[in-house]
Amino acid sequence: MEKRAFAPIVLALTLVVALAAPSASKEIKVLSQFPMSGPVGTLPEFGMGYIDGMNWINSEGGGVNGKKITWFLEDFRYDPTVEVANFNKYCAEHSREEFLMATGYITGGLKPLIEKVNVEEKIPWLDGSYSTEIFGVEGGPDKYPYYYSLGATYGDQMKLLVKWVKENHKGKERPRLGIVYSPTAWGRDGLPEAVAYAKKLGVDVVSQIEYPYTATDATNECTALRKAKAQYVIYHGYSGAASYTAIFFKTAKKILKDVQLMGTHYTTGRFPILVCGDAYDGYVGVATRPFLDAVPREKTPMDNPMVKMSHDFAKKYRPADYAEGGKIKDMFLYMEGLTYALILQEALVRADKAGELTRLGIKKVLDEMEWDFKGLFGGKKFSYRFHTIPMVQYFKAQVKMQKVGEKEVPTGAVLPLGDWINVDEIKW
Amino acid sequence: MADFLQTLGSGVLVGMVYALLGLGIVIIFRASEAFNFAIGEFLVVGTFLFFILFFDLHLPFLVALPLGLAAAGVAGGVVERLTIKPLLGRSPISMTIVTLGLASLLRASVQLIFGAHAYSFMLELPDITIEIGEILFLSESLWSAILGSGTFVLVLFFLFGTRWGVAIRATSESQAKALAIGIDSRFILLMVWALSAVCIAVAGIAISNFGSLSYMTAIVGMRAIPVVLIGGMDSITGALVGGIIVGVCEAFVGSYVEPMGLVGFKNIAPYILLILVLFIRPYGLFGTVRIERV
Repeated sequence: MEKRAFAPIVLALTLVVALAAPSASKEIKVLSQFPMSGPVGTLPEFGMGYIDGMNWINSEGGGVNGKKITWFLEDFRYDPTVEVANFNKYCAEHSREEFLMATGYITGGLKPLIEKVNVEEKIPWLDGSYSTEIFGVEGGPDKYPYYYSLGATYGDQMKLLVKWVKENHKGKERPRLGIVYSPTAWGRDGLPEAVAYAKKLGVDVVSQIEYPYTATDATNECTALRKAKAQYVIYHGYSGAASYTAIFFKTAKKILKDVQLMGTHYTTGRFPILVCGDAYDGYVGVATRPFLDAVPREKTPMDNPMVKMSHDFAKKYRPADYAEGGKIKDMFLYMEGLTYALILQEALVRADKAGELTRLGIKKVLDEMEWDFKGLFGGKKFSYRFHTIPMVQYFKAQVKMQKVGEKEVPTGAVLPLGDWINVDEIKW
Repeated sequence: MADFLQTLGSGVLVGMVYALLGLGIVIIFRASEAFNFAIGEFLVVGTFLFFILFFDLHLPFLVALPLGLAAAGVAGGVVERLTIKPLLGRSPISMTIVTLGLASLLRASVQLIFGAHAYSFMLELPDITIEIGEILFLSESLWSAILGSGTFVLVLFFLFGTRWGVAIRATSESQAKALAIGIDSRFILLMVWALSAVCIAVAGIAISNFGSLSYMTAIVGMRAIPVVLIGGMDSITGALVGGIIVGVCEAFVGSYVEPMGLVGFKNIAPYILLILVLFIRPYGLFGTVRIERV
């Protein structure tokens, strides 16, 4: 009898050990996807920053309390179908216990994945999308519990631009605002909010124009804005690195001479200086990151710790790409890749310390996260309670053309106008 | 009235560039009955060759332009030797299909070499902006029309005022007859492709001067399709008229129809017009009517 009882106990113990063994060697897997090619241009900097960040985390950065992260990086070519297919593939190939977080970058990818991410997989998903529909009042944590954005919504960004117009308008008549937007979900995002807010503030929206990515000429659009007597123009839903942006700004400089050009996050920064030259001078934009990457690069102010960290990383790990004329054209993009690596690590470390290194555990720590993001916002902390990082800053471009040898080259930077603003604290 | 004139003028100016693109298609079609679907990629390659000489090597404009265009012509000739010549004697459809593959190959090569981001592109030509009251024609638009129409005239002179031009036209009429009177049709075909590449490169330079150059500039090449189908696939006059019609159509739709809420209609309007024209004149406005016995 005793012998018979002994056998099942041994079997049970063996089973426990067998089951425990794989869990002890459980990997921590994360997937990140960036648009490194496609209609937004060639942006390998995303990947460079992410790769350097992840390698640093696993070697010198402490990993996840000593454990290494198994990371995957994909270029989804600004194609939502590719982004969705990649995610599905990784879900099929990796277990839920190991595949703990994913990141994406566009609204077009978020929408088809709503069910998959938030209901089926329940995996924390960080995204570069600033979609008002998904992260604004109508969406948010109640509707999309596993979606997190790394920036303020376009609705909030556009409203801040309208606010700037109202506060900086000189003259007794109501300010006249034109809006140029791309015919995409991104371009249309935030428009109703901006128009409604403009009405509330007494700013007349005199023209709304869709300007396509395929544009080879912006004369019609600029002439229409001139006819509407717009004094301010918000250019929204475009990449600052692409041809259409250069064409629009260069044409606008000639046709809309006294008009204040403005824009949202992705048309604020260094790339437009490179492609638009002095046509970009005087541009006022909002951005969710410190866009401090001057032309030439050595003139970049280094008082922001995260900016300094990014530049130090790039100098150390990719000196040839970092040098002027190298592959890193815009350090924002490099910093963005690094930022994703660091927030993934922070979430994983916090969840591990809380003893719940699972998808649900990570969601819990993200929901409660209050963090200064290694000084990204000048020391200010943000809260992730509404699933967006609600920090925005105004920037103004100062660009001059300088003769270098026989060639005229643009020099300058986008410089902050004031401190970081927490949009969650604004009573619109 | 000012609005109308502004729109009409803008359309005609851009139409001159479209006409040049159309000419690039027509001269190949006349010589070989093939349609060059790689026109957009030819445009980008030719413009990048000029870009290297002018912006990277800092050659003066008047040196960089002929050198760049010569390089574009050589590139066109090389492409013909490698991809089109082996197909001589076969159906023109084969050549047309090859140009589809060629488009992919050239696009990928451009992305590999130059990347996919935009390059700032401003020629800094003398400012000839015309501004009369409400009417404004930008210097870049005027220069693009000057470059387009100037090249168009030069090509016409080459085709109708030189012995080479006579040989090209003879080959276009009948390859067999041209061979019979001692014209080297194979060499003529090479020359036609080179000439077409030059026309397309000029159009590319004119268009890029609006602000920038990237692989995506190739999309302009697609404008040549309605141009030549409206004007007539084998008609040089048709390319000119078709180019202006498409330019004016886009401008009017952009100014008067799109503001009514039909956003993006500017891009499809030339194709709608094309369908209407083809209903009435299946060979285009100036195309040769062909009656084939079956």
